[in-house]
Amino acid sequence: MRRRTFLIGTGSALAAAALPRMAFAEANRIDWYTSSDQNIIDFWTNVVKPKFEAANAGVTINLVDGGDNAGLQAIAERALAALGSSADPQADFFEGFDARQPVGAIDKGLWIDFSKENLSNYSKINPLAIKIDGLPQNLPYRGSQVLLAFDTTKLPADKAPKTWPDLVAWIKANPGQFIYNRPDKGGSGGNFVVRAIYEANGKDPSLFAVDNYTKAKGDEALGKGFDILKDLAPSLMDKGAYTSGNTQSIQLLGQGAVTMIPAWSDQALSAISQGVLPDTTGLVQLSDLGFPGNFARITIPTNGANKALALKLADFVLGEEVQSAVLTELGGFPGVSWDYVSKDLRDKYAALIPTSIPVWPGGDWDKNMKDGWYRNVAPNVDRSK
Amino acid sequence: MSLAPASGIVGTSEKRGRPIGLLLVAAPVLLIGWMVIYPIIDAVVTTVWLPDESGKYGLTLRTYRFFFSDQYSLDNLYLTLWTTVVCSILLLAICLPIALYLRFASGRLATYVQGLAIFPLFVPSIVLSYALIRVLGPNGMVDMLLNAVHLPKLRSPYLTPWAPVIGLVWDHIPLVVLILTAGLGGVSNQSVEAARDVGAGRLAVFRFIILPRLTNPILVALSFSVLGIFSAFTIPYVLGPAAPEMMGPFMQRTFRDLYDPVNAITQAVISFFFCIVFGLFYVRSVIRNRQA
Repeated sequence: MRRRTFLIGTGSALAAAALPRMAFAEANRIDWYTSSDQNIIDFWTNVVKPKFEAANAGVTINLVDGGDNAGLQAIAERALAALGSSADPQADFFEGFDARQPVGAIDKGLWIDFSKENLSNYSKINPLAIKIDGLPQNLPYRGSQVLLAFDTTKLPADKAPKTWPDLVAWIKANPGQFIYNRPDKGGSGGNFVVRAIYEANGKDPSLFAVDNYTKAKGDEALGKGFDILKDLAPSLMDKGAYTSGNTQSIQLLGQGAVTMIPAWSDQALSAISQGVLPDTTGLVQLSDLGFPGNFARITIPTNGANKALALKLADFVLGEEVQSAVLTELGGFPGVSWDYVSKDLRDKYAALIPTSIPVWPGGDWDKNMKDGWYRNVAPNVDRSK
Repeated sequence: MSLAPASGIVGTSEKRGRPIGLLLVAAPVLLIGWMVIYPIIDAVVTTVWLPDESGKYGLTLRTYRFFFSDQYSLDNLYLTLWTTVVCSILLLAICLPIALYLRFASGRLATYVQGLAIFPLFVPSIVLSYALIRVLGPNGMVDMLLNAVHLPKLRSPYLTPWAPVIGLVWDHIPLVVLILTAGLGGVSNQSVEAARDVGAGRLAVFRFIILPRLTNPILVALSFSVLGIFSAFTIPYVLGPAAPEMMGPFMQRTFRDLYDPVNAITQAVISFFFCIVFGLFYVRSVIRNRQA
């Protein structure tokens, strides 16, 4: 008898655990998802969340790490599927996503058009950041730029290359000591590739805009950049190896396997503060034309249960308090124009950060740069020699 | 004598249990139809029923023509096949001795060996990938050990086609060892001892007693690991070279980075047809097993 009771008891307990959990979005809880790395999640946990919750009593932010872009895409697809029905997507706020995904989402009206929402801080956004992808469904709020991270024990800081020709000369003079990641697997390698393309096209980023790609123009402009990279390949680590992400490059620099890598400014700073990179790591930006950067965006689905609160949060993030913290806590750049950052900070970082960030357009240029690199640069190296 | 009524019972219950049996099977069959068969048909249709320049839909094989005329795509397919073949050979060469040892050895050491052989089952491949960078990568543990005994540095396999091979073989050892060990359970001690009594050497025992019993498990183990290796993603993504890529990372890149679902599905259908060949081996050996 007791055995049977036990069986029934555990059986029904197991069955209850196996039942799909019915979950509904809670009122006043913003379900927030990110594709970003740990340093961004820490920033939201320690800075944005407490500040916003203090300013808005009763509201909470539920911070969820979506893993990567693919993770957010799955959640965005859920929201897209729920569109037009009364189903609840349980997602209010996406950090580090792109409204171009999932395919067709903009046409179906999944994403909020921020230009029509009368956010009080919308006009403060850096016009350059809006120009990058020209989509009002993407709200840029923080920027980051790629720079060179290097081992000062092997290369004294005063000898570090300061221009692109210097960098090329250094890479060729020190074969095997430089590596960048595949352009689609992380922005540090991607923007290194873009910088080579700028170099081949008269250092003029304005040639590349989101709407002026044609095949003939692309093949010519990109092809010249790829030639520079093909020329560099035999001098890279293992005669032309490419890591598969920002983190792996940092790992190789930390292991002392290479002397120099391109790295995101914010990621390099947090790697140094966490000890992943030693204190002897030096950072330098090219002075002839900086490495490009990009802005991380906020996207908000139109069918989230807490849409109004999510918009309030987006507006809050663009306010001076958070934007200054992006500079001081994150090592990134504000998404708003520099005029809207406190004067002290503006003065303090003026020397460190160039006034212009070259920005590579999304869309066709980006797609063809990435695929072209795989087809032209990556395979054409005989690494056995 | 006592067998006759037993078979009678089995016979009647079979007749009576038929509708219930079919009902019991219905759920998994429907599930496979819905979650596996339908997506396959859908994928094939998506890749052959495409709009032409004027936007009119029609039957076309252009995505397949593109794949098989594009050297870059073909290189990726060749690398995937090469990796699969090399991994299978290595897996068999490593796992067969381990399985034989585990079958015939007893004692504490065998327990440890078994534990070690099964261990990779519990290591997520993303953890394994980053760990292998630390061990096999430049200035990694292998380099340090070699350096400690004053041997020259080896060229690191990291970011070459050999790194995914090492990772995938390590990752698939438990599966192959488990299947082979289970298969070796069918070899009775008596038959081995009988062969020894008539003077068979170790090699003869292996060749004439063990191997005939083992062909089916070997086929099953290989077809399982081939399916896993062919569609592997994480290990070739993190450890492999930029180009050529294996089909897994290639599909993912085409789908997510190039926003090109039709070509990604074409690559998936082509991979699927290669996998189906190995799948047929498995099905055939299961059927043969049933008949035996």
